[in-house]
Amino acid sequence: MFQHKKPSTMNSHDRPMCVQGDSGLVLTTDPKPRLRWTVELHERFVDAVTQLGGPDKATPKTIMRVMGVKGLTLYHLKSHLQKFRLGKQPHKEFNDHSIKDASSLELQRNTASSSNIMARSMNEMQMEVQRRLHEQLEVQRHLQLRIEAQGKYMQSILEKACQTLAGESMASGSYKANIGSQGLPDMGVMKDFGSPLNFPSFQDLNIFGGDQLDLQHNMERPQLDGFMQNNDNICLGKKRTSPYSGSGKSPLIWSDDLRLQDLGTTPSCLGPQDHDPFKSADQIQISRPSMDRSGADIDSISDIYETKPPLQGGGDSMGEKKFEASVKLEKPSPRRAPLPTDRMNPMINAGAMPQGRNSPFG
Amino acid sequence: MSLVSSAIAMAMAMEDTLELDCSVYSNNTTTTTSPTEHDYGCNRQNWPPIVDWEALAGHDEFKDLIESMMDDGGLNFNLFPSEAVDVVEGGSSNSESADMMAVDDETNNDDCKGLRLVHLLIAAAEALTGVNKSRDLARVILVRLKELVSPTDGTNMERLAAYFTEALQCLLEGTGGVHPKNLIGNGPQRDEQHHQADVLAAFQLLQDMSPYVKFGHFTANQAILEAVSHDRRVHIVDYDIMEGIQWASLMQALVSRKDGPPAPHLRITAISRGGSGSGRRSIGTIQETGRRLIAFAASIGQPFSFHQCRLDSDETFRPSALKLVRGEALVVNCMLHLPHFNHRSPDSLASFLSGAKTLTPRIVTMVEEEVGPIGEGGFVGRFLDTLHHYSALYDSLEAGFPMHSRTRALVERVFLGPRISVSLARIYRARGDDDSNSGGSSGEWLATSGLRAVPISFANHCQAKLLLGLFNDGYRVEELANNKIALGWKSRRLLSASVWTPSDSDFQHPDRCGL
Repeated sequence: MFQHKKPSTMNSHDRPMCVQGDSGLVLTTDPKPRLRWTVELHERFVDAVTQLGGPDKATPKTIMRVMGVKGLTLYHLKSHLQKFRLGKQPHKEFNDHSIKDASSLELQRNTASSSNIMARSMNEMQMEVQRRLHEQLEVQRHLQLRIEAQGKYMQSILEKACQTLAGESMASGSYKANIGSQGLPDMGVMKDFGSPLNFPSFQDLNIFGGDQLDLQHNMERPQLDGFMQNNDNICLGKKRTSPYSGSGKSPLIWSDDLRLQDLGTTPSCLGPQDHDPFKSADQIQISRPSMDRSGADIDSISDIYETKPPLQGGGDSMGEKKFEASVKLEKPSPRRAPLPTDRMNPMINAGAMPQGRNSPFG
Repeated sequence: MSLVSSAIAMAMAMEDTLELDCSVYSNNTTTTTSPTEHDYGCNRQNWPPIVDWEALAGHDEFKDLIESMMDDGGLNFNLFPSEAVDVVEGGSSNSESADMMAVDDETNNDDCKGLRLVHLLIAAAEALTGVNKSRDLARVILVRLKELVSPTDGTNMERLAAYFTEALQCLLEGTGGVHPKNLIGNGPQRDEQHHQADVLAAFQLLQDMSPYVKFGHFTANQAILEAVSHDRRVHIVDYDIMEGIQWASLMQALVSRKDGPPAPHLRITAISRGGSGSGRRSIGTIQETGRRLIAFAASIGQPFSFHQCRLDSDETFRPSALKLVRGEALVVNCMLHLPHFNHRSPDSLASFLSGAKTLTPRIVTMVEEEVGPIGEGGFVGRFLDTLHHYSALYDSLEAGFPMHSRTRALVERVFLGPRISVSLARIYRARGDDDSNSGGSSGEWLATSGLRAVPISFANHCQAKLLLGLFNDGYRVEELANNKIALGWKSRRLLSASVWTPSDSDFQHPDRCGL
């Protein structure tokens, strides 16, 4: 820690009248020898002071002991310490904060040196950077939680609406017919990306539940095998090359299709789906009838969410834990949104995001 | 023919602009189009604000051109038509195409079609309000436009043009006014009410497909959090609460805040429209929202209460109608962007804001759509600006979801389309005014009316950037003022969030944000 540099060369050029003693101290050759506080000596001084806990805590005696420089007397140290204390007043607060900071100690050694100002601003800058980084991590974490909160709230809206619609359709008799006319597929769609498992009214229909899971977790969720039983039959998620939309998921949009066909029947009968969605597509539309609804045009909303396996990969660690935790899950929105994995990963690696995500929300 | 020569002169003039680098927001980001430097002037940024119709002779000659336009068999396949046909649509495409058009018809096809559509739209807008006003001409142009576009098919530009066409149509027929009640069904399917399920679906999609909604909400929430970091009671007056989505994340943040008293009591007062009809509906919605918020707050352990405050039938705000509690920090929240159906009149908003000011709130948060600089373009200029705006919006959605044109079409139909109609109606009503509220931003108005800026903190800014990072690259955060940040797509600002406090308040922004 103490640089044991030889001050000789530097100073002997500047001050020919100085003499270097045996201990390395530079003394003037006045009638009254006065100590020159060279840069190196001062560095050692500052070192010692900080070791001792700052200019306020350090005393000339202790400094002398720590410095261990021969020829240095208490008087030298007293006056120098006083000057030091006064001189450090303006930027004392920085030192207080970063006393424990190892890297700042380095900088502090330089504060009283000739590169005073630059070092001071370096110190400030470094602290500023650190502070900002810390803040940024905080912000990341909080952002995650907030997005989740919003997603959860959104789900409650959709649930409610769904139940209302289901209630209405139940009440008014023919389930099948009314589903079609009320645009329920929209809700079906939304549920697909909303909470995968939070729609009790439809959980009885295993198809639906299975579909949702398949939708969202593509095929990478081994622990969901219990739910996936129907998926094997449905195989919708895997039918990526479905003829009607280029995405095997499109029949899922018409979840009512499934219900229509499969209420009371086994999911397996969904196998040949080529015809059904087309038919139903005419009756059941994701939007108002006048919108063009040819089957070929149905690019599923679900596609947005089924997306990118990389995303899943990024969010998996968190997601898995959540699934194990409970059936009723709030699906955090970022996982639904198409987050490019390369963006997510750095955050995850930084360690900030997972913390936030794993904190049980709600 | 003088018409042709003058048109070619115009084309020459336009060539200069066309050669500018137009990379930024071409209307085509689908895979069929390769981004080339030769956008052939499809970058509407470089568009001359007003087409030089004066160079063209009177209406009769117009009619000839329009006739020939009608005869133009199909835009898609007629890239090298005779000069006469193309001249009205900016001979640029013609002279350009003759010289510079590469072999690849397909790519230029969409661009030129888009160009053509824009031309037609501008022509219609001009015909509607310009110097050579002619309703007949406008009608004719709109008819032509309607043939070319559909709200559900085609490129962004085509769908966008469909909504603009529809909006212009309404302006034409409605003689300037657009009744708010018709707004919901003002898309191409005019007669239908938007089904609740549709609206919710579209809302969810809009939220997830773009940072649009979250940006405003989160920025405002962060500002609120910082402002009330040491308060035990918080009262938020929300101008347009809709489903209350914004408050879910605020509650979560309040519950988990570290410094300051934990979980302060939150009170939200939702402003509801008075009057019958839509008023009743909105009250029902608000009550439902209140119930939902209460349930949500209970689920996370946030002390919460919900209130409503009715506006008068003429939509003026009476501050005395608000119940205030001593010692609470009052926050006024004003969300004016999508998906809020902003068919409130500017007066209603103004009355609300002035009333709110008298209550000396701690802060006022405002999120609104950014409009371009209001030049001397008049209606047409603002029309074009609106076109730019929505074009950028469409592009941003497409960029995130290039393959999901269906779902985007849903969002467009439910939210964007009606919004276009409203915006155009407002501009139309305000034509002739130089600097009306419809043009300027409410933020500016706030600045001049006794509110001062509250700086947006580093954390807030940081959050916005992080949020955008979750979406497409094209989004960016821009700092417009120390109290205002904007969400932009490529080079177009879409949305801005700003924070204010009464000038005479002693509220100082805390140094450390209350995370």
